[in-house]
Parts: sequence; C-alpha cells; structure tokens
Amino acid sequence: MPWVFNEPLVTLTHEETVARSKQLWEAEDLGGMTEDNNRLPVPVVVLVLLTVATAFLTTIPLWGQRPTAAIYVDYIKAMDTPEIQSIQETQGDDAAMKRIVEINKDSPFKAQQGRHPVSMNDLRVIKPQIEEIMKLPDVDLKDYTVVGPEVKIANFEGNYRPNGKRERQQPWWDKGYTIDLFYLTMFFLGVTITVKRLPPYHWQPRHHDNDPRHGDRRHNV
Amino acid sequence: MNFREYRIGSRAFGLAFGLSMSITLFFPSFDLAASISSEVGLDKQLTSGWDSGWQLADPLLNGLNKPLKVLVRKDPKSGEPMEPVYAYVYPAGTSLPNGVTHTANLGKGVEELSVKQGRITEARKESGAVFLIKKSDQLLTFEDKPLSYMENATATKGWTPDEVLKQAADSDILHAGSGKTMFVREGCWWCHTLLPEQTQDWQVFGAPPMLGDFNGESPTAFGSDRKGPDLLHVGSRNASREWMMLHFFNPRLVQPHSIMPRFDYLWGEVDADGKKIDFKKWRSEYDEYREGKITTPPDVPMYAKDSEIRNLIDFVINLK
Amino acid sequence: MILKYLFAKNEAIPVGSAAIFFGFSAIIWFMIGTGLGSFNAAKLAFPDFVTGTEMFAFGHMRQVHVLAVIFGWISMAFAMAMMYITPILGNTRLWSEKLGLWNCMMWNVSLALGLTLLWMGVTSGREYSDFPWPLDLAVAAFISIPLAVNVWMTIIKRRTQGIYTTNWFFAASTFMLIIVFLVGNLPEYFHLTGLTEAYMTWWFAHNVLGLWITPVAAAIAYYVIPKVTGNPLYSHRIGHLHFWSIVVFYSTPAAHHLMSAPLPEWLKSFASVEGVLILVPAIAFVSNILLTMQGKWNMFVENLEVRFTVVGVLLAIPLNMQGGFQQTRSINWYIHGTGWMVAHAHLALLGFSTFLEAAAVYLGLQTLMKRKLYSLTLGNLHFWLLLIGFSTYWISMTIAGLIQGAGKIYEVPYIDVVIAEHPYMIARWLGGTMVFSSTILWLYNMWMTAREGTVIPVGRMPHELAYER
Repeated sequence: MPWVFNEPLVTLTHEETVARSKQLWEAEDLGGMTEDNNRLPVPVVVLVLLTVATAFLTTIPLWGQRPTAAIYVDYIKAMDTPEIQSIQETQGDDAAMKRIVEINKDSPFKAQQGRHPVSMNDLRVIKPQIEEIMKLPDVDLKDYTVVGPEVKIANFEGNYRPNGKRERQQPWWDKGYTIDLFYLTMFFLGVTITVKRLPPYHWQPRHHDNDPRHGDRRHNV
Repeated sequence: MNFREYRIGSRAFGLAFGLSMSITLFFPSFDLAASISSEVGLDKQLTSGWDSGWQLADPLLNGLNKPLKVLVRKDPKSGEPMEPVYAYVYPAGTSLPNGVTHTANLGKGVEELSVKQGRITEARKESGAVFLIKKSDQLLTFEDKPLSYMENATATKGWTPDEVLKQAADSDILHAGSGKTMFVREGCWWCHTLLPEQTQDWQVFGAPPMLGDFNGESPTAFGSDRKGPDLLHVGSRNASREWMMLHFFNPRLVQPHSIMPRFDYLWGEVDADGKKIDFKKWRSEYDEYREGKITTPPDVPMYAKDSEIRNLIDFVINLK
Repeated sequence: MILKYLFAKNEAIPVGSAAIFFGFSAIIWFMIGTGLGSFNAAKLAFPDFVTGTEMFAFGHMRQVHVLAVIFGWISMAFAMAMMYITPILGNTRLWSEKLGLWNCMMWNVSLALGLTLLWMGVTSGREYSDFPWPLDLAVAAFISIPLAVNVWMTIIKRRTQGIYTTNWFFAASTFMLIIVFLVGNLPEYFHLTGLTEAYMTWWFAHNVLGLWITPVAAAIAYYVIPKVTGNPLYSHRIGHLHFWSIVVFYSTPAAHHLMSAPLPEWLKSFASVEGVLILVPAIAFVSNILLTMQGKWNMFVENLEVRFTVVGVLLAIPLNMQGGFQQTRSINWYIHGTGWMVAHAHLALLGFSTFLEAAAVYLGLQTLMKRKLYSLTLGNLHFWLLLIGFSTYWISMTIAGLIQGAGKIYEVPYIDVVIAEHPYMIARWLGGTMVFSSTILWLYNMWMTAREGTVIPVGRMPHELAYER
C-alpha cells in the first residue's frame, strides 16, 4: 500500500494499486449493485463548509440572551441623581425613565437595554436586589439574570475564572469550541485521505457496458 | 483488500468512535464528579432515598424502601418542644441514599463535613437512621451561601427512627420519597418537566436548578416534553392539599380546561374513614353535573392515610 | 411455522425465513405502536376519553407507544432489511437462518414482556431507556448481540472482495448499538445518580437515534434506490463522506438535549457545534441518493418502493435542518420542551425513517416470498394515508410547539397555552389515526401478497413485473 504525494489533490495511491482497484471495481458484482466514482459535487462541498461556519455562528451566544443585572447598573445609579429625582417629582415616572435611557445612550449595553426595556416600577423592584449583590466581593453582575421582579444567579457553568470560580455566562469561546476545531480538522483530514486513496475521480468504472441488467446510462459521461 | 482498505477503515472507525466516547463521556465526567451538593441537593437526595425507579427492593414501584420526611417539633429524646426541624427518617431496612453509601458523591467540603461532623458513615441500613441537614460556616464556591452537610442524628443525638416517628403527628410526616416513586410510575414527567429553563422560565416556574441540586438523586426525571407547567417549584406556588386533592381526583373540577388525566385510581379502594369509594356513582354524578343536571359536583372522597395519592400529594407539596 | 424451524437444521430452513418473520413482526408492531399513539393522542385532545384505570392512563401508555415503535417497528424492520440485504450484497446466504429465527422469536418475547411491564409502570424513569436494567441486559443479549453476530458473520463470510456501502453501515451500526446500549444504561447497573444520570440518559437517547436509526435507515436507501432503478450509486466517494460524518458527528452531540440543565457550558458548546454538523451526513446522503435517481424519476411515480424511499430521503432535509439548528443556543431557548420537539421526533421516526423502512419491507417481502405485491391500490392508499396523516401530525404539532414557545417567552399562564393548543391536539389525533389505519391496510396487503400475489419467475425482481390490482 504505497503512498504517493506528488499530486496530493488528485490521488495519494500508487499507480499499481489504482490499476488493481479499477479492475476490481469494474469486475465485481455486489449483489447486482454497482457504484460510480463521481467527485463530491461542488455544491456539496460548499454546503459542508457553510455548515461548519453556521455551526459556530449559531452556537456562539448571539440571540436569545436574557437580560443580566449588569445592563441595569447604570440605570440604577442614575435613579439617585438629583436630576432624575426632580424630573420624577415634576413630570412623573415615565419622563424620568425616558431621561435615564437618554443618559445611557452610549452605554456598552445599549443593544441589550433596547431589547429588554424596563419601567421605573421594575427598576424600583430590582434596585435593592442588585445593590445587595454589588456588595459581595469579586462579583460579576453579568453572572446574574434579571427576569421580571427577580435577580438570580444564572445556572450556566461557564469558563473558570483565575480565582477558581466559574463564569456563569454562556461563553463566546471555551474548550468545547477548541475541541470542535480539533475534531473537525481530524474529520476533514481523514475523509480527504480516504477519498484520495481511491482512483482519481476523472476515471469512471465501465461496469454497465457488458451487463444488460443494469443501468442504461452512466452519470457524467 | 484492494482499493477498499478495510483494515485501515476499521481502525479509523475505532479511533473515531473511541474519541467521540472519550470527549462525550470521559472528559465531562471530571466536571460532573466535581459538583458539590447544595442544600437543595441534600434535601432531594435524603427525601427520595436510594432510587425512585425500578429497584430490586421495589419491583412493582409501589413506593417501598423509601424514607419519610418528618417535621420534628419536640425533641424525640426528652420530649421538650424545640425549634421545628425537618428530619429524614430511614426506618430499619430502608436503603440509604447514594451520598451516604458513596460519600464522594456529596462533593468536596460537603463530604468531609458530613463524614467528620455529621458521622454519616456510621449509619446502618439494618438499624435505620435519622438524618438532618446542617449549615456550616463555610461558603459555597459559586454563590455566597453557606455550605450544608448531612448529619446522622442517630449517631450524634441518639434519635432512632421509631422515636422520631412516634412523637410526630401524621400531618407532620411527608411521604415524599414514596411520592417520587408515584411520580415516576404514573409518568407525571411525560408532561411536567422538573427543569425550569435558564433563559425563559423564571417568572412563571421559578429559578432553574443549579449544579449541586441533583447529587445522589435517581432518576432525575427532568422530562423533555411539556404539556403542563413545570413542577420544580410547584409547592411554592400552591401548597393547598385540598386543591391538590380535587385536582388529582379530576383536574376539571378546579381547572375546566386542563387536559391532565384523572388520577382517582390512586385513592385505592377505601377513603379516609375506611368506607369503600364508589367510583362509578361518582363518575355518573359528575357527568350529570357536567351536563348541567345538578348544580354542584359530587364531593371528592378524603384519601386514606396510606393511599398512593397521599404519597404523591406529599411529593408535590414538597417541591419548593 | 416458526416453531417448526426453530429446531430444524440450519440447512433445512428456507432462505429468507428469518427476514420474512421479522418483516411481518415489524408490521404488526407498527400497528400496535401507532394504535397506541392514536389512543394517546385522543387522550390529549379529550382528557376524559377512557379514564380512571391505571392501565389506560396516559402516563402508563406513552412510553409503550415510543418503545413499541422504536424497538418493535423500526428496529425489527431494520433486522428484516439486514437479514436479506446483507447476504445479497455479499453474494452469499445469511450466516445462520436459525439464529435469525431465534433472534426474531426472542425479540418478540422480550419486547412483549418489557412493554407489558412498562405498561404496568415498571420503569427506570429514564426516557428512551425506560426498561429496568435486567430487561436492558435481555435486550442486549437477545436482540442486539445476536443480530450483530449474524450480520457480521455474513459480511465476513461474503463471497466478494469489496463491501458495498449499505453493509458498512449495517456492520458499524449493529456494533455501535451494542456499545450504546451497554454504556448508556451504566447509570442503572451501577446506580449512577444526579446530573450524571440525566446526561447519560440523553447520551443513550441521542446515540440510539443517531447511531442506530439514522444510519441504518440511510443504508436501506443506499440499497433500494440503485437496486430498483438499476442505476449505479452516484458516488462511492460521497458514501465515504456520509459514513464517516455519521460516526464522527452523530456520536457527539448528546449534551444538546440538556441545554437548559447546569451541565458545563463547554460541553454544550462542543455538542451544539457538532449538532449542527449532523447536516454533513444529511447533505451527503440526500445528494447521493437524489443524484442516483437521475434519469429514473419516472419510477418515483410508478414504483411504490422508490416512492417510499425518495419521500423518506426528501423528509431528511427538513428533519436535519430542524435537528441541526433547533439545538443551538440561538434557537433552543425558544422551542425547547414544546410540541415542536414532538413534531421533530415524529418527523425523524414516522417521516424519514418509517418511509425508508416501509420501502425495505415492501421490497424484501416481495423478493423473499417471490410474490408480486397483491394490490397497488392498497399500497397507494397506504402511502397516501401515511403521508397525509404524518403531515397533519407534523404540521399541527409544529404550530402547537410555536404557540407553546411564544407562551413560554411571553410568560403566558400555562392554561392559556393548553387552550390555544386544543385544536392542534385534535388535528394530531386525526393524523395519528390515519397513520394507524394505513398500517392495517398494509398488513392486509402483505398478508394477501403472501397468499395470492402473482408468483415472480426465477431470476426476476418484483419491480420488473407490472402491478395487477
């Protein structure tokens, strides 16, 4: 089973092996079944590559994220400022809330704040809870989820922090993705080698010519 | 073996399959083994006992070989009133839960405390044991809550199962362990999950479970397909036994649009007074009520103390 | 008749006996399984339909339906296909007809016993691995190991040098099924608990579907289409891509069933990416079969087996699009635990795989009994009832699932979701009942084929003869 590497994209097999393979391929009758040697169609290859890209994109946490406590921290801080309090007294909650959103329009959490709007009443309920959490040492508010009136720690068992605790967030990257890359590499390498050990794809077996029982046509002639 | 190189192929197959088994079973086993039992986890494990599915000691899933969860109001030794505390009573012969027989299952910290301070390794199946959940002054790693551990009260306080059961009123005894067997046997988990979702369910069904909440529990019966509400915290939403009783007997009595099956057969033959329950009569009267012939539905018979429905209701109420 | 052959000499047993017994057993289990399904669906639509008895409670019957269909219908149809396709592809006879017959009988006995116990509520409480462990061991010993031995020995004793693609899949899947069964039930033998138990439950469930049902069903299509159309398989190379991607990608995404459980996130990331990659075998499979059909598309209309197979192959497209993407972090939160999943599971088992197996059973029984199908009309009726019934079921449950998902996101009181789903529950019951009635017609048709079908002359294939009724 010698290997040949001068034309890796065409074949990895020695000519003799290819010749023997061809002979067997044409001669053999597997219960009346025959196989052709067509290449992987280009659209199939494209679809496979597209699948790989999509796999990562849909698994990376892009959509469907619940609001975390972190996105409301600035809202809560703004609540105590004299400006907001005076708006609240003169024009009511809604105007005050509008102003809070306006103040935070450059916030790094802008997109999430937009997706998860809150009212002043909501803020009043979650404010003491978030403040309580902020008192804890080494706390990351992104680990806490806000749903309705509750602020609770998330049950995501994410990456480890340097202090040995786990991030309680869906990760953008972790060893799972790394294993995926390794695994995919192994797979594509394996399949490519397997396929390149076959006779090159421009050769097609002629098993139908002498056999009246089988197909009256051959693919891609 | 010409172009079809089967020897290479089968080795490649073994390699690929072995690799996938290692990644999916061997690698995560370290993470799973490192989970530290939370207070919830200890409570679940001690409440449901060794196993709630098929086991040799309970081949027909009648709820045998199960502990009782007892609210202790008086010190079983002295009879003096005390701060009420839940004790998990394993009568003699009841299999001990996984965390007691395999202490590593409790996780780092909890194991040490349970063995050294809780003396759980001294518990014996033959003589039975009573367990308590204690809080230590250490903290859980991920959330700043105290680390809890198991205590074998038979060893530390001399409480025997018989003494604890003798001083407790029947209403303070929860047959939640047997109830979990009912939950599994009756297939409640085909429609009700025990797994609120991190992303969506908090407001209606309560917080999702954390990593240490399952240690020692088997089966976890998460369920996969919801046709009814999640039940992980149902006892916090609704703890009314009367409501549960009506609802199990015929869900349409309290929720006209419910598609839940009737579980009236779990009442058994007789009601709480030992009178034979006439299901046929009840059903025909109920049909008359449904057709508008009578204005009130027939009364639901009070279940007997040792009926299967009592176990199930105890289990459901106990899902806090 | 089966009893007569059980103790006969292997040589004295007519070729194909095991496959024929498996074929009829499969159809009968299909009838039982779908009958139970229809009954259960009626209970979901009308909760007071047959009530108050433990034996007819939904919770006691649901898992019987699932396992009757998986281990009775699908797996027995697989066994049937293996018993006649494996030897044909090796130009040889089945290694042991006698083992095949024993396998068939023990399979029926242990499955009937297991399902009866399950019906009584004797369960391990683990989805898809519901049997208590002694029964799991019985399944391994009486069902999967003898089947694997027979298939492997037939392949080893083949009279060809090459092994055709179908047989790679048969050999690999029978082997993987044993491993999956023995490993997936470890929590029961060794009383593993907690999240380990939950994860292993889904490891088993995922792999039994991904490494047994999907590849074997695909392997059947690899046989039926070239055989009946007479075309060569389009590409041996795509076959490689398909086979290896099944082994590599289908065996890994188990954790994606528990995306909302506190499993380590890295495991979910890994599983979820792998989960999308199940599209790779799907792309390979669908393209290979459809390209093989080139020039013979008239048979899609004219020939029943080809029609069943191609519909199954086409259903693999929505199946894998759903399967691939519904488990990702981006989408799973919306539809997890809803009727969408129920629809998806039926698309896999009642759509994709049932159509492929039905083709194998049709073709195999005609070939082995050397009788042309009794009635094309009944066959067509079977096909259309099955297809329309399944589509009704699938569409109604998908809509119900989307309603449920919306209810979950917007935190609607659950009872309102139940009310909104009611019409779809009725539609699901109607669809399921159509499927059930179609199986009765099928059984009758196959029975009449055995008794009165036109005898196929030696050396001819059933599809070469014209239909008569």
